[in-house]
Amino acid sequence: MAASATYEVKNEYGEVINTSTGLSNKKLLMWAFLGSDVMFFGSFIATFLVYRNRSLVGPYPADVLDIPITSVSTFVLLMSSLAMVLALSYIQQGRQKLGTFWIFSVVVLGAIFLLFQVYEFNHFVHLGLTPRTNLFGTTFFILTGLHGAHVTLGVLWLMFLGFGSLKGTLRADNAIDLELAGLYWHFVDIVWIVIFTVIYLISARDVAPPGSPPFVGH
Amino acid sequence: MANFFNKLLYHDGRGWWDLPRTQWQDPNPEMEGPFGDGIIPIKKAWDFLTAASYHHGTPLFYVVVGVILSIITIVEVWAFNWLFLGGLLIPLMLVLSLGKFVLVVGFFMHLKFDRKYYAWIFTACMVVGIALFVALLLLLEFGHQVQQ
Amino acid sequence: MRLPRIFPRPTSEHGIWSWVSTVDHKRIGTLYAVTSFLWFLVGGVEALLMRLQLSQADSTLIDPETFNQLFTMHGTTMVFLVVMPLSAAFFNWLVPLQIGARDVAFPRLNALSYWIFLFGSLFLNFSWVVGDAPNGGWFGYAPNSHVAYNPTDGMTYWVIGLNILGVASIAAGLNFIVTILNMRAPGMTLTKMPVFTWMTFVTSVLIVLALPVLTVALIQLQVDRLYGTNFYNSAAGGDPVLWQHVFWLFGHPEVYILILPAMGIVSEILPVFSRKPLFGYSFLVFAGVAIGFMGWFVWSHHMFTVGLGPAANSAFAISTMAIAIPTGVKIFNWLGTMWGGSIRFSTAMLFAISFIAMFTIGGLSGVMHASVPTDAQQQDTYFVVAHFHYVLFGGAIMAIFGGIYFWWPKATGYMLSEGWGKANWLIMLIGFNLQFAPQHWLGLDGMPRRVFTYAENMGWENTNMYASAGGFLMALGVLLFIINVFYSARKRVPAGDDPWDGRTLEWTMSSPPPHYNFATIPVVEHRDDFWFKKYPETIAEYYHDDHAGELTAPSGAQFDDDVDMAEDEHAEAHASDHHGDDDHGHGDIHLPDMSYYPFILALGLTIVGAGLMTIIPVIIIGTIVLLWGLIGWSMEPVNDPAPDGAAHGH
Ligand code: HEM
Ligand SMILES: [Cu+2]
Repeated sequence: MAASATYEVKNEYGEVINTSTGLSNKKLLMWAFLGSDVMFFGSFIATFLVYRNRSLVGPYPADVLDIPITSVSTFVLLMSSLAMVLALSYIQQGRQKLGTFWIFSVVVLGAIFLLFQVYEFNHFVHLGLTPRTNLFGTTFFILTGLHGAHVTLGVLWLMFLGFGSLKGTLRADNAIDLELAGLYWHFVDIVWIVIFTVIYLISARDVAPPGSPPFVGH
Repeated sequence: MANFFNKLLYHDGRGWWDLPRTQWQDPNPEMEGPFGDGIIPIKKAWDFLTAASYHHGTPLFYVVVGVILSIITIVEVWAFNWLFLGGLLIPLMLVLSLGKFVLVVGFFMHLKFDRKYYAWIFTACMVVGIALFVALLLLLEFGHQVQQ
Repeated sequence: MRLPRIFPRPTSEHGIWSWVSTVDHKRIGTLYAVTSFLWFLVGGVEALLMRLQLSQADSTLIDPETFNQLFTMHGTTMVFLVVMPLSAAFFNWLVPLQIGARDVAFPRLNALSYWIFLFGSLFLNFSWVVGDAPNGGWFGYAPNSHVAYNPTDGMTYWVIGLNILGVASIAAGLNFIVTILNMRAPGMTLTKMPVFTWMTFVTSVLIVLALPVLTVALIQLQVDRLYGTNFYNSAAGGDPVLWQHVFWLFGHPEVYILILPAMGIVSEILPVFSRKPLFGYSFLVFAGVAIGFMGWFVWSHHMFTVGLGPAANSAFAISTMAIAIPTGVKIFNWLGTMWGGSIRFSTAMLFAISFIAMFTIGGLSGVMHASVPTDAQQQDTYFVVAHFHYVLFGGAIMAIFGGIYFWWPKATGYMLSEGWGKANWLIMLIGFNLQFAPQHWLGLDGMPRRVFTYAENMGWENTNMYASAGGFLMALGVLLFIINVFYSARKRVPAGDDPWDGRTLEWTMSSPPPHYNFATIPVVEHRDDFWFKKYPETIAEYYHDDHAGELTAPSGAQFDDDVDMAEDEHAEAHASDHHGDDDHGHGDIHLPDMSYYPFILALGLTIVGAGLMTIIPVIIIGTIVLLWGLIGWSMEPVNDPAPDGAAHGH
């Protein structure tokens, strides 16, 4: 009878997976979680868009947003994604040193991105934009701040894995752990792709909505 | 019924608009679909790029994707100043970033190479999410505003 | 790589620490059940206080502020601390048993969900202790929930408490999605899964997608309240209507999160006591999935009187009426299941039948206020209160009580007394209808909800008096249930493995089940597999086609095609495979070892949450505990290597 026949499904690491779908439990969990996170960021991005052009006082996006600087940090985050996928590829192939190198590159690039964010936040506060100033400030800081929190978590997680890879506890045969971290990291990257488009590329020219006073600075 | 859909959506169970599949699923793919054998050179290049590990791409391939991502980003930043586009600027930006999104999800997150299940899960969530939030935006844009 | 252990890894099977460190889905289910039942009593007391106050016109028993706190906490408790976790108790107990698995996919994550739920619920109710219970309604409408209008700490407790609870729900939802997809026994295709498991799956998907939306709304309100941001600050242009949208965007899927498990429970009880397979299995399952999907696009029916404009109102009226269709399909499925069956009126069955009746009434009033002009009259009146109690108490709670009577013998090994049970059912049903049926009248007569009293000349005294009497009758019903539990625990009438002549896998094992559930993982050939193994002669009768006795799923399995090779024919005993290999204990059975870290992690999370009420040192302490739990957890192997092959943990 078919059902009692043994049928082995191997995953990409060569281990036998006997789950009913042939999918790894952990990876399925991660994808489902990412689906859930879609709703999380989706709600915040929707809030940003709802409140776009609704601030009553300045500074407005056009007064503070700086596309060149943010494109650099966007680029950094994109490259960290590349580094991430390379790290996974090398660890999977058993090329431990290269893999470790790329893991730590992700950590460094992620940290650079965070530094950019810290700089940007400081700069905005300097220009008079805080989370309390107006709707733009509120939605901007909370959305990018929570994204930053996600990045921070990813950096810590990858640091943990990087040391594991140094010590040899993260190897080709349990690279699934790195793959999970990678999925998370790429997800955080695509969220930034959307944020960059929505907040920066699309809204950066927004000035005072009709009826509101233009921002003259402090 | 389900067979009908299979026939409609897939060509004998193979999506003919799909990029050629990787060796993991399809060790010896037959050439079918609209381009017939014409696609073989592309396919060879593809196989070369994605042959490295079990079912993922080669490092070279990822670097190529990374370069494409960077180029799109540069184009975006550049296009930011194309004021002559007027109202078309926003759709353009959306399309460009959609491209980046798809590249990262498809290749860096391996959805293109991986079991379709994951793609289903993620796409389903994206579709529900986008539908909901677009509806929400429309409601708030044209909803109670009008009444005031 | 191992951290130094502060506590040795728990191994004892008895005593309090074995509960704190348990990762067994059955024990966690019991913990959920007991905890949420206690909250049920708390929420019930809150309700009785409100009923006392409302039993007379112009009563001054309870002041308006307390009344606000009572209805807020009653709603919040019943939704988040009672119906959701009681359902979770059933998920935990039943899903692994019904799909033929030894545990859920992530046992420690499962324990984590429970502990977060416990601490979160304690945190939420701690607000009573400090005297500032939340008072903005379970929907927390802005700007009423904003500091400017609500300066006490109550709503801050509410926001943070619900956020903590949300984490628990999402973790549990993810866990059950993976469990149901991945841990099914050989042959258990999706189309052979028991309906309860199906509904658990749909519910979990809803939880995983809907709770983040609530989390976002709560975070926004929280930063508004704590740090003075402007999300819902109308002075800065913030839009209170946005809160309503985001809340109900979560809120409507949430009501299906509350009712779908109950529908699953009823769909298990009815076939057993009708001695007939479920009528229209595929329809029922499909209707459940359809409800889960359509439930996303109806939220604005809670906002018909906001003034969204005719286009939006009509669209949502249509979608709301449309969602009654799959709901109605289910009702006819249940009726069809009973039709022509040889029905046994056990307590569980009585509860299930009253579920159908009461839920239908609630559904009908739902369709009534799906119509915009009608709703303009009903919104914010007791009519709505009657509606949602008919679906939530008459629906969810009735089904849950039915489920308790149904599966109690399996979980404990002895029967609940049928005599007390029937008294419990009768009193509860009468009390319920006495309390809530008059509220339809009151509502149509214009009595507003959420108001602490009403004037004498409104003519509402008698009706309210009946309602209050009904409330106390319901309390008596619950009391009878408690008596029944103690009475039956004394009597201990042994249940045997299969007291009801059951149909699904959980009845194949001893009662209570051994901690490893299945000695050998079963191979599933049919829906209602156990039944057809007991009575093979009935197979031909119910499968009128050539598929009888065959293994292939009859229909509907196609969307599974990516996986069915793995699904139909994979190796046995998969449940244990992710634990590595070992050879101690029961042959190849191995279960994850117990762990303290879920408890510690949950504790840390809650402390951080509490610290968010701007007490920085508490945040730091919480973070340390949290990190301790997190790092300890991630470095702790699922199973310790067994010392010298000695069996441990079982
Ligand atoms: C036939 C299906 C249903 C329909 C058409 C329906 C329709 C509605 C509508 C239109 C309202 C808004 C009434 C108002 O505020 O004016 C409402 C409120 C409500 N419904 Fe339903 N409903 C249905 C089923 C359910 C179910 C199954 C549940 C829960 C298990 C539920 C729980 C609630 C709750 C809790 C509220 C009140 C929320 C509040 O204002 O606090 N409903 N329903
Ligand atoms: Cu609703």
